[in-house]
Amino acid sequence: MDFLQFFCSGILSGLVYGLLGLGLVLIFRASEAFNFAVGEFLVVGAFLFFILYFSWNVPFLIAFPIGLGAAGVFGAVVETSVIKPLMGRPHLSMTIITLGLANILSGGLQATAGSNPYNFSISLPDLTLELGLLIFPSAKVWAGIISLAFFCVVLLFLYRTRWGLVIQATSESQPKALCFGINAQLVLLLVWAIAAICISASGIVIANLGALSTQSTVVGLRAIPVVLIGGLDSIAGALVGGLIVGVVESLTGAYIEPFGLIGFKEVVPYFVLLIALFIRPYGLFGRVRIERV
Amino acid sequence: MLSLENLRVVYQEVISVLHGVSLKVPDGKITVLLGANGAGKTTLLRTIFGLLPVYDGKIIEGNVLLDGTSLNRFHSSTIVHKYRITYVMEERPVFWYLTVDQNLRAAAFSRPNKEIPGGMDRVLKIFPKLNSLRHTKAGYLSGGEQQMLTIGMALMTKPKILLLDEPSLGLAPLVVRELFGIIRNLNEEGLTVFLVEQNAHAALSVASTGYVIEGGRIVLDGPAQELIHNKDVREFYLGAAGGDQQRFRDAKRYKRRKRWL
Repeated sequence: MDFLQFFCSGILSGLVYGLLGLGLVLIFRASEAFNFAVGEFLVVGAFLFFILYFSWNVPFLIAFPIGLGAAGVFGAVVETSVIKPLMGRPHLSMTIITLGLANILSGGLQATAGSNPYNFSISLPDLTLELGLLIFPSAKVWAGIISLAFFCVVLLFLYRTRWGLVIQATSESQPKALCFGINAQLVLLLVWAIAAICISASGIVIANLGALSTQSTVVGLRAIPVVLIGGLDSIAGALVGGLIVGVVESLTGAYIEPFGLIGFKEVVPYFVLLIALFIRPYGLFGRVRIERV
Repeated sequence: MLSLENLRVVYQEVISVLHGVSLKVPDGKITVLLGANGAGKTTLLRTIFGLLPVYDGKIIEGNVLLDGTSLNRFHSSTIVHKYRITYVMEERPVFWYLTVDQNLRAAAFSRPNKEIPGGMDRVLKIFPKLNSLRHTKAGYLSGGEQQMLTIGMALMTKPKILLLDEPSLGLAPLVVRELFGIIRNLNEEGLTVFLVEQNAHAALSVASTGYVIEGGRIVLDGPAQELIHNKDVREFYLGAAGGDQQRFRDAKRYKRRKRWL
């Protein structure tokens, strides 16, 4: 019974990691850059919501979409100011510039918000789930539900709409897309905005589990094994990778840490990553490349 | 009419590729541009289509004019949407991981939604073969099928002028003949075609005017039929030498010709 409790709790946090991974995968597919500033994106998004909801007391149903919208604008601004000027350069330089961006953002965050934690608990209807001996706290259930809903909406957008199709096309090749009159710059802007929204949404629900501080950027590190296990260019991989990391973390916390290995659950996703990469170097769901001979 | 006036283009501020190119693409005709590798053919098309910034290139002099309007500063999406020019890159730029159907839809991005079904019907009528392949990923198509799809995708943008970059690249002679037949048919329906080719014979046989570019300069131009019989074109592009003078003077003669051209 204990096992089931920890397993399901891992699934719930896995859904949140999945959404976080989705943000990274979208950016990687479109810009071919790994966004190392993911932790900072997460905290910036959470703070935008924090300002609206806690400082200005805007009701949740309004603050949530507006906060995420602001996060989207933030993503778009980052794209125009940082990524777009690098067009036509090697993709590696975009990845490297996100490292610099991460430093600037975390410095900026500490300068404006300080390093003290902010109390962060959204008052949502109580969804505490009690199934026999299993108990899941309301905040965690909400985290799972919101993440899953977001994931589905983004999937629908990508695979069922015209813009989604254009995003897929542009992600494959920018020059080809430009050829057929697709405004690749606009598409990239959109992708970064959507990715920033995904990352911020997971940031908000993660902050809701505890508190928000500028140190929360370390959660971004969790996203790296998530996307690498699943495959950097795979959307399904982000979800599966997220679930694996969530479950492994939760089970390690329950069964291995009591032996005196405090903090081991932070490391264990990387062990899983190592094993996954030994077996499948492109990640579990990495795209099967079409080769012409 | 699309015309280029004294176009000079550099890459990365220093690598000079086009040194003053002027040419005209009259409406409703097929114009062909011949040239060896590295002559600047693809750069010329990128320049017309506003793709230079993507490749870190710049127009330092001259103009691309469409009916008197300069296209120099426009982004490629504007050129497709507003000026109805579509550029078909070399090596069949289909989206490999999308199906044929999705490829056609994605290519219609610049057109309003309601035009898509009509456009699809038209493309499938011109290329009936694509019908059975609609749900196949484009990466798994054969070269000929991919080239058909590429042209189909270009037609989905409803172009008035089509810029084709080496459509015959890597295709079997029979497929090339079919392809050029289709290009000629499209032209007869009113499409202006600017064809960049290495396959001089096939290209000149469908074109009305031809230009030869060499080292970033236009070195020869004239009606296609005249070019086909031009001694230099025959020798350098059609591989048919004059017959005599094949010996030790060849190398020197080639050099002299090149300079003269």
